[in-house]
Amino acid sequence: MTPAVTALLLSLQVSVWTTGIVLPVGTLLGWLLARRRFAGRSLVETLLALPLVLPPTAIGYLMLRALALDGPLGRRTLGVDLDILFTLKGAVLAAAIMSLPLVIRTARVAFEEVDPRLEAMARTLGLGPLRTFAGVTLPLARRGLLAAALLGFTRALGEFGATIVVAGSIPGRTQTLALAIFADMQAGRDRDAMILVAITVVVAFAAMWSVEALLRRAPA
Amino acid sequence: MSRLLEIDLALSLDRFALEVAWTSDEPSIGLFGPSGAGKTSLVEALAGLRTGERGTIRVAGRTWLDTARGIRLPPERRGVGYVPQDARLFPHRTVRGNLEAGARRAARAPGRRIVLERVVEVLELGGRENDPVASLSGGERQRVALGRALLSGPDILLLDEPLAGADAALRRRLIGHLMLAQEEFAVPSLVVSHDPTEVRLLAREAIVIDRGRVAARGRPDDLFAGPSIGALAWDENYENVLHARVVAAGGATADAEIEPGLRLTVPGRGLVPGQPIAVVVRAEEIIVAVESPHGLSAQNVLPATVLERRPLTETTTGDQGVAVVTVVGRGAARVIAALTAQACERLGLVPGRPVHLVMKTHSCRVYPARAAGPAGAIAPPGLPQTAAPRQGGES
Repeated sequence: MTPAVTALLLSLQVSVWTTGIVLPVGTLLGWLLARRRFAGRSLVETLLALPLVLPPTAIGYLMLRALALDGPLGRRTLGVDLDILFTLKGAVLAAAIMSLPLVIRTARVAFEEVDPRLEAMARTLGLGPLRTFAGVTLPLARRGLLAAALLGFTRALGEFGATIVVAGSIPGRTQTLALAIFADMQAGRDRDAMILVAITVVVAFAAMWSVEALLRRAPA
Repeated sequence: MSRLLEIDLALSLDRFALEVAWTSDEPSIGLFGPSGAGKTSLVEALAGLRTGERGTIRVAGRTWLDTARGIRLPPERRGVGYVPQDARLFPHRTVRGNLEAGARRAARAPGRRIVLERVVEVLELGGRENDPVASLSGGERQRVALGRALLSGPDILLLDEPLAGADAALRRRLIGHLMLAQEEFAVPSLVVSHDPTEVRLLAREAIVIDRGRVAARGRPDDLFAGPSIGALAWDENYENVLHARVVAAGGATADAEIEPGLRLTVPGRGLVPGQPIAVVVRAEEIIVAVESPHGLSAQNVLPATVLERRPLTETTTGDQGVAVVTVVGRGAARVIAALTAQACERLGLVPGRPVHLVMKTHSCRVYPARAAGPAGAIAPPGLPQTAAPRQGGES
């Protein structure tokens, strides 16, 4: 396998895993922020938005310290090795934390646009809260949730700063497209870097295109 | 014995407190009152869509709310068929998808099963089952909302101004659909309306709400022909409602009897002999004669007696008018004619004076009425003691 294909496959793995983790979590948190009033709501909101405003390297560094041997999530503290640092899991975790705020915000807007009176109507028809969520809220928010998934996926594809700190840039193990482009560039392999850039463009374009197609098929 | 509807409710609204209490066994209750009287808030409280209300709600023997005992059923466990003004259809589902939205509860509900095919037929939605709701007209949306409520196995229908957005012609058709649905599916209903005619056509008992209180209650025909709620009902153009039974039909007109020997010729399309109907005539379209008129194109001349005169605050001409309240025949109905003060003086229309009421056939709007009582007997309006038998005791 050529290094370019290896990097592409690693990138796809990270992006797919990240989307799979972040979409349900972000959907739930987005719904909570859109529909529930609870104590400390704005504090939670601000905390969850921090990765948007902090430098990714700062987030990566915090994760590195937390997962280090002596850190709060390290082997000495927990008694088990989570085996996250400098692995693909680390790359997924870094990408997940970086894309979560975007997914939450997009999902939240999607839920806020659902007319709560339609949810109330479903309740009067005998549907409990869960069935109402699955049968009315989710389908009505689906366009926004698709957009949230796209944002999560593409943010993971482009993730660099936190990933390089937490997962390193190990060819064949953690070196995704974004990291490989930087490595090739630094080593003066301009042609290789350009090929990777082209691949990245194609993947991002395909992701956006397929979501657009899904949205067209599912009119509001 | 459990009652159909028992309410004792207090709820703070923006401008006043809603405090209502009543018990009723009537299968159809009309909640009447001006805009902002608290009617919609009351309906939402019944459906379980509000918070902060105190008191009790019992429907068909089941307690939905009893704040003193800490009982507050969530909306999905109450069993209401809620039809709001704006239909509130689910935009992501087809007509059938909307109609079937409450099917799970209906399958678990005891009692008579209402089938989708019959609802589609009665509400004239045939051929539209697979259409997206975005393609429906306003009237169709309301009918789908009504069908959806009927098919959810409700203990009571809550119809909140179901005709609010419709123009006059559409209202007429929708009232017909509502009346047929009431008769066909026999689900008890609470109808909110600010239109006296709607209440009289759709309800056996009227409850008048004003500024959060029950201002009056009674049989709709008595209530709206009487002076007690005058100002509330008279803001709108008054319409008389006559209950009758078709005695001869076929062709463009039909003959209907409002009491033995007292017949009306009405537009007759689709009517069958024996069918109970409600005939609606605007007060302004009734001509009053002091002598038996003849040589008229108008087909209906009913003997009547003047009961009283009341000043009319508004007429379509803007003149100060007079409402002449009469009783028709041997007491079949109260009919109110709106006249100018001048005409009233000229004819000497004083209480006790025998008169003749003249109505054109085409001034009569006909609604196929609900069956009035188990034997199908029409309860003669104005004679409350012979009203249709109640299911429980007196309320």
